[in-house]
Amino acid sequence: MLRYAVERLIQAIIAIFGVLTIVFVVMHLSGDPTLLLVPQDASAEMIAQLRSQLGFDRPIWVQYLEYLGGLAHFDFGISVVQRVPAFDIVVSRVPYTAMLAAGALVVAIGMGIPAGIVMATRRGGWLERLLTAIVVTGQSVPTFLSGIVLIFLFGVTLRWLPTSGSGDFASLIMPSIALGAISMSTFARMTRISIIDELGKDYVRAGRARGLSLGSVVFRHVLRNAAIPVITIAALEIGNLLAGAVIVETVFAWPGIGQLAIQSIQSRDFLVVQVIVLLISFVYVLTSVIADFVYALVDPRIRLAR
Amino acid sequence: MSAKFASIGAMLLALTASTALAQTKDTLTIDLPNDAATLDPHLQWNTDSYSIYRNIFDNLLTRDAKGEIVPQVAKSWKYLDDKTIEFQIRDDVTFQDGTKLTAEDVAFSINRIIDPKLKSPQLSQFDQIAKAEAVSPTVVKMTTKSAYPALLAQLVKLSIVPKAYVEKVGDQEFNVKPMGSGPYKMANWQKGVQTELEAYASYWRTKPPFQKVVFRTVPDVSTRIADLKTGKADLVRDVPPDQAESIKSDSNSQVLSVPTERIGYLFINAQGGVTKDVRVRQAIAYAIDRQALVEALLEGYGKPVEVLGAEPVFGYTDKVKGYEYNLDKAKELVKAAGAEGATVEFLTSPAYSRATVEAIQQMVNETGLKVEISSSDQATFLKRRQGDPANAGGLAFGAWSCACQDVDGVIFPLFRTGSIWAKYSNTKFDEAVDKARVILDQKERLKLYEQAYQILKDDVPGMGLYQAYALYGASKKLKWQPTANEAMFVTDMSWQQ
Repeated sequence: MLRYAVERLIQAIIAIFGVLTIVFVVMHLSGDPTLLLVPQDASAEMIAQLRSQLGFDRPIWVQYLEYLGGLAHFDFGISVVQRVPAFDIVVSRVPYTAMLAAGALVVAIGMGIPAGIVMATRRGGWLERLLTAIVVTGQSVPTFLSGIVLIFLFGVTLRWLPTSGSGDFASLIMPSIALGAISMSTFARMTRISIIDELGKDYVRAGRARGLSLGSVVFRHVLRNAAIPVITIAALEIGNLLAGAVIVETVFAWPGIGQLAIQSIQSRDFLVVQVIVLLISFVYVLTSVIADFVYALVDPRIRLAR
Repeated sequence: MSAKFASIGAMLLALTASTALAQTKDTLTIDLPNDAATLDPHLQWNTDSYSIYRNIFDNLLTRDAKGEIVPQVAKSWKYLDDKTIEFQIRDDVTFQDGTKLTAEDVAFSINRIIDPKLKSPQLSQFDQIAKAEAVSPTVVKMTTKSAYPALLAQLVKLSIVPKAYVEKVGDQEFNVKPMGSGPYKMANWQKGVQTELEAYASYWRTKPPFQKVVFRTVPDVSTRIADLKTGKADLVRDVPPDQAESIKSDSNSQVLSVPTERIGYLFINAQGGVTKDVRVRQAIAYAIDRQALVEALLEGYGKPVEVLGAEPVFGYTDKVKGYEYNLDKAKELVKAAGAEGATVEFLTSPAYSRATVEAIQQMVNETGLKVEISSSDQATFLKRRQGDPANAGGLAFGAWSCACQDVDGVIFPLFRTGSIWAKYSNTKFDEAVDKARVILDQKERLKLYEQAYQILKDDVPGMGLYQAYALYGASKKLKWQPTANEAMFVTDMSWQQ
């Protein structure tokens, strides 16, 4: 188990280091960001002056080392646009995205897993067909469309929910549904497949032969065995939710890091963009490491195999 | 981890507590696409930032409904010589902490924005000012580096900040808790969410029309329109022309629009590629149907222009006419230049309307030239467009506004030899625009700009396409006439009686 843990951590560190490097290379692909920051009527001298102020006139490897050095001290620089430390700007938005991601996960797991169980155990019934239709719709409608449809249906036409904002619990409902819909479908499908897979196995037949009901077999034994793929998906889905938040937060005026990312790209606030990309990658790597540990705990076969 | 959960918990509590954000008639709610980048008026200069902070601060001068420069904090002014101007400052203006605004504050504001240490993005608009000093509590003397005709137009944008307060709290704190002498004072800035302003009861000019003004950050235009239709917002900024119809169809909403100084223009490289030949450039100008562009892409919310300029900009002339749409002439010119089938590279980036770029591509293709669009990220686009003429592409589309309403801020940076945008050089043009920026005689300046526009017409290193309109969606209850400079002065608004 220890060796397994160490291996996974080393892999995670390599992955994060790779991300740091890729982010740096992408930011410098086009030369330097100075041109994005000067006013349109700037003279060539002003541009040269700003370039040297920002240090973009130095050799790329010097800039790279300094960048890594800054990260080691948690120094992400001062936002050129807002004149506030870039890290503080991003951190102030994290709770909003965390709340939205949590809301979306509640929607995705709370609806997806029961739907998957029903679809696996009531095969061929009208309920399965209805749920399949819902799952396929959730899967295939892009969030920028479903978000606007929700706003116009529940916000403008029915006036049940606020059209935008972050001021109260009601404002959280529509963005959570819009963001959670795709994950919900993924959870439903994965749960259904895993359960069907398990249902064909000997221990299920043995349990049924002993006179246990299908429900009790499923809830006492099958679910635990079917959990492994679902946990993997959950970890990946957290990454997907963060990516999806970029669109959902923009549509619903939800002030999280996704919306901040778009605004920072538009205002060319590259240091803030850099922190956001690093943060999202870090969360992605972290959740997949946690998932690895969780299924080692759930399934002894995995931890014993090492 | 537990700290994170605690902060989420605290936020949930705060959220439920603010549920009862009652919308009363005393509050005006405005949806902007972005939050303010800074509320220190000497730092960022983008429409969303100044839409908010211009209500917190007064400016030295301002423009009236007709666009004329009129007094605000300055009562009057006179030139002592070409480079020295003296402003009489009002003595009945107070900052929102009750202290009096004096000439010291005005001088401080000017010297602050031109101080290179502040690194203000607005520096290039004010860097012709050498210094300012308070001669008496009501008189400020300002010196410019040379005679500078655009000075007053630039000073319209100079917010007066309180010297004592800024020095006391420092630049960083001032940016978060700004305080000025304007009609509204800062109440609460929730970054990324909204900025709330409250009426300043002792405002000198007028009684602020609303007790409270809330600027919300709503990036998606469909959401802004939904907010407008449900009454969550009374006014929304930045409505694209193709969404105007959906606002008009709502019985409680209206579209407000106004021609701005922003000009959609086409750059044509005079120093590289096949467009080096003036006949090819003229052919391109003949091939573009500006009226069709305005109708098809702007749904009529724009006006075709003859030159790269429009009425609200000083120096604009209606005496120089553009090229009329004439495809036969265009084809002849391309043939005469021996350029049939030649490739013209059209540089662009996602920052520019793809539909416009493609429409222009098709129009120019009709002449026998072959236009190829190369789209790249904005940094790469700028590097090429501003770099070596041989690599700067043949065409590029852009929308230009100097926010100064003076032609000097338009054709000088775009076409003067040596400017980063210019892929063109003509000594006669340079002489005209150089002279026009250092003399104060307005008639003489107008004459020089007319010459300059004529030269640009003959050489076609670029052409004006249309004057863009600013579009707003508003509640029918709101009375407001938007202005060409895209300012949002809340004191100009009121509820319909």
